Amino acid sequence: MIRVAAVGDVHIDADVVGRYRPALDQLGDCADVLLLAGDLTRHGTVAEAKCVATEFGGLPVPVIAVLGNHDHHSDQPDEVTKVLEDAGITVLEGSGTVQTFGGTRLGVAGAKGFGGGFAGRCGSDFGEPEMKAFIRTTSRIADRLGEVLRGLDCDVLVALTHYAPVPETLAGEPLEIYPFLGSYLLGQAIDSAPTALALHGHAHHGSERGTTPGGVRVRNVAHPVIKQAYSVFHVATADADALTATSRA
Amino acid sequence: MSSTLDEYTEAEVQRLLTEHPGLGEQGITLTRREHCLVLSGEVESPRRRAEIERLVHEALPDVELCCDIGIVRAAAPTEHEDLP
Repeated sequence: MIRVAAVGDVHIDADVVGRYRPALDQLGDCADVLLLAGDLTRHGTVAEAKCVATEFGGLPVPVIAVLGNHDHHSDQPDEVTKVLEDAGITVLEGSGTVQTFGGTRLGVAGAKGFGGGFAGRCGSDFGEPEMKAFIRTTSRIADRLGEVLRGLDCDVLVALTHYAPVPETLAGEPLEIYPFLGSYLLGQAIDSAPTALALHGHAHHGSERGTTPGGVRVRNVAHPVIKQAYSVFHVATADADALTATSRA
Repeated sequence: MSSTLDEYTEAEVQRLLTEHPGLGEQGITLTRREHCLVLSGEVESPRRRAEIERLVHEALPDVELCCDIGIVRAAAPTEHEDLP
């Protein structure tokens, strides 16, 4: 069993530094790892990233993150990533990591994700260049996420995104903005591997729980949704045979 | 910005809160009442809530505001979820 703590959409700036720290200092007692589901900053500036590094650096457990749309706003995602990585935070984008806790290998595949909508109400690779670019961006990210998920050799597999892979965890958001909150393509990528848990943020007015069509549990850990410093999930270890056999195409 | 409380004003305020360089808030809900604009949602600090109120008041000086914006709690969890 792996104990996974997670939160997203913390939107740290100087005015927030210190708010999470009392709870974060207890992490070693209740979790093996902390996953951050994007929107760590407000505007994606280096100064804000340094505030994130102050708040989430030097914790008693490893910290693994993806960036969110806010973290891209200043067009400095590489600089933001560097500041976080200098603070010991692993930042994933179309990439993965495997870390071992008590002999159990946790694999985390991460990507920001993007929008596009869900079955029956989704955008298509059709029409104006802008529309095609929108959907192709999501397709490219989702394809890469699926590749990484299928390639990780581990005992427990977790997908970490900012955008939502299913509509269930958006319940509470206006239907009109669902295409800007996530994409079924991310869910399809998650279902292409023996994923145990999918975590995302982005939908502040959404709901906590959902499942992909393939049965993978999805949790929206956006801070305004969970209303606590982080949520903790005790994820059971799948046996090796099941991990191989349940790969969903 | 228009001082009339209509759909265009609502859209302008939402864009203002998102696009203002000092704010970047996307999680605020605006609800138009007859002579009042209700701001609701949750933000990460009292300073952001105050800034939202100030900006909206500055944009709509003639509109009565009702601020129902909370500060998201950041305490440690007391329970975990088992995922067998």
